[in-house]
Amino acid sequence: MPQPPKPVTNKPALIDGYRAPVNEQVAIWLRQMLVFVGISAIALPIAWITITAFKFPRDVYSLDTALIFTPTLENLQTVFDHPWNLGSKILNSFAVALGTVLLAIPMATMAAYAFSRFDFRFKQSIFMLVIASQFIPAAVVVLPYFLLFKQLGMLDTRSALVLINMSIVLPYAVWMMKGFIDAVPIEIEESAMVDGASRARVLWEIVVPAALPGIITAAVFSFTLTWNEFLFALIISKQDALTLPIGLIGFRTERGDLWELMAAGGILITAPMFLISLLVQKQFIQSLTAGSVR
Amino acid sequence: MRAESSQLRRLPVHWVLLAPALLFVAAMALFPLGYSLLLSFREWKLARRSSPGDFVGFSNYINLLTDDPEFFEALRVTGVFITADVLLTLVVALGAALLLQKTGRLNTLARTMLILPFVMSPALIGISFRFFLNAEYGVVHHLIGLLIPAMKDTVWLADATLSMAAIVASDVWHWAPYMTLVILGGLASIPTETQEAARIDGASGFQVFRDITWPQLLPVVAVVAVLKTVFALKAFDTIYTLTNGGPGNSTKTLAYFVYEQGFSYYDMGYAAAAAYLLTAALLVMAGFYLRLAFAKNR
Repeated sequence: MPQPPKPVTNKPALIDGYRAPVNEQVAIWLRQMLVFVGISAIALPIAWITITAFKFPRDVYSLDTALIFTPTLENLQTVFDHPWNLGSKILNSFAVALGTVLLAIPMATMAAYAFSRFDFRFKQSIFMLVIASQFIPAAVVVLPYFLLFKQLGMLDTRSALVLINMSIVLPYAVWMMKGFIDAVPIEIEESAMVDGASRARVLWEIVVPAALPGIITAAVFSFTLTWNEFLFALIISKQDALTLPIGLIGFRTERGDLWELMAAGGILITAPMFLISLLVQKQFIQSLTAGSVR
Repeated sequence: MRAESSQLRRLPVHWVLLAPALLFVAAMALFPLGYSLLLSFREWKLARRSSPGDFVGFSNYINLLTDDPEFFEALRVTGVFITADVLLTLVVALGAALLLQKTGRLNTLARTMLILPFVMSPALIGISFRFFLNAEYGVVHHLIGLLIPAMKDTVWLADATLSMAAIVASDVWHWAPYMTLVILGGLASIPTETQEAARIDGASGFQVFRDITWPQLLPVVAVVAVLKTVFALKAFDTIYTLTNGGPGNSTKTLAYFVYEQGFSYYDMGYAAAAAYLLTAALLVMAGFYLRLAFAKNR
């Protein structure tokens, strides 16, 4: 007698029923092992840098005391002292990233709204060109920017870094936010406009609140890109506008690499990003992947 | 979206809304493109003069293409780096995505962690890998020495091939987890009914993947390949912090070559010409991939 069909699950073993359960268990166990290896591959380097930040130099430069050592907070203090001054670099990084986000996100929101809600000539081409601007290699852009800001007397200023980073994050932000605004139903806007609300009011009072998760996600993404940006910061900043990633390479001195201080700086540059990205993780991942999948 | 009411369509507000972003992006993209092009036809050593020098025609390009072994070495290094980097990222990301497709507590944890390498500073990743591979007290160096005794005394960053391997490894570590997320998104958008039907009809797991999942996943994989190639051509941070292009010129990619010509030798015209050749390489690469993705698709 044929068995009644079993409910379809994503475990094939339950469907065909001929497979020896032992084989299946070995397969599951192997998969779990592989996942575990993957998790370790991500976690161990991060963990290693983290513990290095709490080591005295003598424990850093010897593998005998790799895991058993007396922890110290000294490194996390030292990096704020002269000549490292990571405090001012954190401030610069924060100011540049925040400035970039505060200027780019409103511009991107307006543009994304226009791309989402209006039909106009060359809309697709213009949209593609905006995205394509990110395909220009930084190497082409880097010389003209350097020479431009040199001419304007803006080398080593945070404003120059904000402008450059804006040009990097704006296309991504428009792309991400268009997806979110597309998903907001248009009917509420229409009825509000029939009731005589102005376009600005509709945008501010209906679209922005409805697309807020998307706006926050784009803001976090832009903040992350700017926070970690290296090449332009390396070229534009000399002393006053140095950011954290450039601060990190300062620990490569004539006396050798000061790993424990690098690790302490590494914690300072990484911890805020981990916190923010885990806070908005679900939204973040959805919008990071949606654009490529659609 | 074309469901606008007539009232929405009558107003030319969209140009007002678009103007700030479009003008800004256009200015910040077109200015450097045009200026670079102009520079690439000029002689300009920044150390000697503060404004662009004489028009020299194509001589920067000709010098690059006929008289600069370092440029060709950079071209070769870029080719090796991109090939290894893109292939390895794809294989790792595809494997990880297939592995994490099913639900489960360990898989959920793994998926949560995938975002972490992506939000880390590439500069920090490069520095960290340098630390791990240090020949005296680097933990990875030490562990590999335990596993493969022959490599106990290898100085990783003094060897051309191993330095390249280290660069590729650090870049894959940074990117593969994010690309896994992208492919997971692609897998989630494939309807499961056909796969299940095939399983019931007796197809093996591999057959289901090859004949049903893979063809539907291909567009996403193509996007990942294009994105990764573009970012590999841009790669600079990890190379700067991990090897500085060394030993010798063995990890000096085109992007690094341009940086060095411009900011170590202050040869602006020459650097701009090299940058334009890099753009050409990028366009060829993008066209190639798009055609590949397009041809298989339709």
